[in-house]
Amino acid sequence: MGVRPLVIVGGGPAGVAAAIEAARAGLRPTLIDEAGGLGGQIYRPLPEGFTVRDARALGKDFRRGEELRARFATVASSVDLLLGVAVLGIWEGRRLLCEGGEIEAERLILATGASDRPVPFPGWTLPGVLTAGGAQAIVKTMRVVPGRRALVAGTGPLLPVVALQLHRAGVEVVAVLEAGRPPPLLASLPHVWREWGLLRDAWDLWRGLRRARIPLLFGHTVFEAAGAGEVERAVYGPVDPADWRPRRDGAKSVDVDLVVTGFGFVPNTELSLLAGCDHEHAHELGGFVPVRDACMRTSVRHVLAAGDGSGVAGALVAIEEGSIAGITAAEDAGMLDAAEAARRRARPLRRLRSLSGVRRVLDAMSRIRPGLVELATPETVVCRCEEVLLSEVFTAFGRGAKDLQALKLMTRLGMGPCQGRNCGPSASAICCKELGITPESAGRIEPRPPVKPVTFGALAGDGE
Amino acid sequence: MTDVIVVGAGVVGSAVAYYCAKRGLSVTLIDQPKRGRATSASAGGLWPLGESLGIGCGVILARNSPGTPSPPPLPREFLEFALASNAMFPPLADELREKSGIDIEFERSSLLYLMYDETDEAYAERLLSGHPDLRGHIEQLSAAEVAAAEPALTRRLRGALRFVGDDQVNPYRTADALRGAARACGARVMTHTEVLGLVVEGGRVAGVETRAGRIGGGVVVNAAGAWAPEIARTAGIDLPVHPVRGQILASEALPELLHACISTSDCYLAQKAHGEIIAGSTTEKAGFDASVTPDAMRGIARGAVRALPALADVTVKRAWSGFRPGTPDELPILGPVDGVPGYLNACGHFRTGILTAPLTGLLLAEIAAGVPPSHPVGPYLFARFAEASTRPLNPP
Repeated sequence: MGVRPLVIVGGGPAGVAAAIEAARAGLRPTLIDEAGGLGGQIYRPLPEGFTVRDARALGKDFRRGEELRARFATVASSVDLLLGVAVLGIWEGRRLLCEGGEIEAERLILATGASDRPVPFPGWTLPGVLTAGGAQAIVKTMRVVPGRRALVAGTGPLLPVVALQLHRAGVEVVAVLEAGRPPPLLASLPHVWREWGLLRDAWDLWRGLRRARIPLLFGHTVFEAAGAGEVERAVYGPVDPADWRPRRDGAKSVDVDLVVTGFGFVPNTELSLLAGCDHEHAHELGGFVPVRDACMRTSVRHVLAAGDGSGVAGALVAIEEGSIAGITAAEDAGMLDAAEAARRRARPLRRLRSLSGVRRVLDAMSRIRPGLVELATPETVVCRCEEVLLSEVFTAFGRGAKDLQALKLMTRLGMGPCQGRNCGPSASAICCKELGITPESAGRIEPRPPVKPVTFGALAGDGE
Repeated sequence: MTDVIVVGAGVVGSAVAYYCAKRGLSVTLIDQPKRGRATSASAGGLWPLGESLGIGCGVILARNSPGTPSPPPLPREFLEFALASNAMFPPLADELREKSGIDIEFERSSLLYLMYDETDEAYAERLLSGHPDLRGHIEQLSAAEVAAAEPALTRRLRGALRFVGDDQVNPYRTADALRGAARACGARVMTHTEVLGLVVEGGRVAGVETRAGRIGGGVVVNAAGAWAPEIARTAGIDLPVHPVRGQILASEALPELLHACISTSDCYLAQKAHGEIIAGSTTEKAGFDASVTPDAMRGIARGAVRALPALADVTVKRAWSGFRPGTPDELPILGPVDGVPGYLNACGHFRTGILTAPLTGLLLAEIAAGVPPSHPVGPYLFARFAEASTRPLNPP
């Protein structure tokens, strides 16, 4: 497919914003996404053939997604769009192996987004337990109701959003359980006053829950999902305010057929790792993230990274980071002089500073605490692809495993089709807690190409 | 102070530790996980005939570099060595299950060499005529017999050779079980501990320096795989071991499609107990670069689909690579080094580390205990490298 001046991997908020800025500056981007449409998970477009009768009913994110796509439409003729194409791996920094061939990029922007952080608890693999992202995809995109009576648990502002989406779709939401404590209002104000719109959003959410009569319980989480073959009830209760360990003496049971959990997101770093970028562990950004300068350059020449894939901070931050990355790529390619590039970056940089205050407040509430690993019992599955139990992880510790790589070899944890995307973060937390080590020494389950599923036939190049 | 220190807990080091501990020696096994360790990138084939005769990775090497002759078969004495080690597996599997609780998934699969064309047939013909004594271990299958035995394989075949006794295990579990059994016999296993070098005192190797401090030992066994030269160098030994990268692909778990392990002129295939099919492999000099390459992934995928057409619609779960510890003559380096008392080699196992681990372990334990080895080690001594050099150890 030849050498391309700029390749952007990921068509979510960061990737689309990067494409818009690069195209505006005259650097022709190639925008690749494995999905069939632009917008990523959060601004996922409706499937073809769906018509929108009432856009308001679809919520703010739908509107923001439509706005982003409308902005993209103004530059679309200056962008090469490769939709429905998965990137399988990266070599020598900027050679991409995709389904259907190889692409060489002079410059690369990785905007790979984030995945739900699964937290294992007894029953979490039963049908009827969904991650917040999964529940949203079902309700938002497919317009399908995933259950009748739901308990929503986890942490962060996505919980009330999902709860209200479920409610509007006709699901009875029995409660929203936020493991964190409410942010202290007065102490938070100096950090968030510049983001008046977000405060409005938060207020709207809170009012929405009140109107829908959905109780919001801080300092609580789900302990267990149970039922014969599918979820029939859930056990929940209070957590220790300091480390979120379950306080089982306060446990209660509730009949539900749907448990939605949202414990935040983990950056998708497979491609930045394969590209050879330096990474560091940043708890508040969701785990290991590529090291970047303020202009979104990674440690590998001509490889930039933006959005949740390089640190989970939400779609608004992703758009600004993507814009900056697009401008920087254009500057580095000689399409913008330094002064013009700095001028164009000024607005998104300002917005990022303003948003970082909000992030600090949210992080104080929603930073994942180590006691959550105590939700799992020895019989709880921790790696669902390979059905590895927590007790097997303990056995491996007894045999000398001291990091994720050793756990993988001894237990097969992370050897399944998801390559550890699902079990890696929680297994890391288990290592840290049980062995008293840092996430850096627990390490990672190293990504292996192909980072997305591909068949032997497609790889071999059928028909040759 | 411990009788034996083993550096490297891959399959070879773990086997040495196990057989030493089983003899009643006190053992400390030290390991630092490394990217590209060969045990983790092995398909777990126990192919004494195939590997000795140049089937397996060797055939691919020959095909990939046109003009070069096929790799010469390994010497007869190595075949004896490999067969003796292979024969240890069935009882060892039971022994390890009992002592460690781990099943190494030993499976009597046999190895099939598929013949696609005249070149493959000519290769097979040369192989059979060159080894009349092995006829008893090699069955010739017609295309119809292959189809009956392995219905999932392609029908576009001239036939196959079946190597009877070339079987398979799960390589990680084998290393794991050996380590577990060593521990059960009293060995101390120090994982995640980097060995910085050998301690030379009074003209002999007297222990190792690790990140966790100095450990004294009566004898130090170097089983550090492709990294063995780094360890040996600290005692003035210049080991001719170099990393030879092999890349492999694993499929998603599948129902049983293959009964035998398969070797062709462009890949090998082994379906493991878990249902995954491992497809390999390359033989490359790439230093310690543990990445995989698009060309190799495509090449192996093409070879795999050619042999087993159903794989076309099967998902590749991952591709990875490891470093075989290669030597100039492709034979392991075992036993003592002249002028370096207190030091033993158990390295350079190239393509056959899993297969030859049990006998290596047994022999090294005998040497460490001062007992005459029960199988000749002469051909594998470091001294065979005429040009190989050792600096004399520091005078006392």
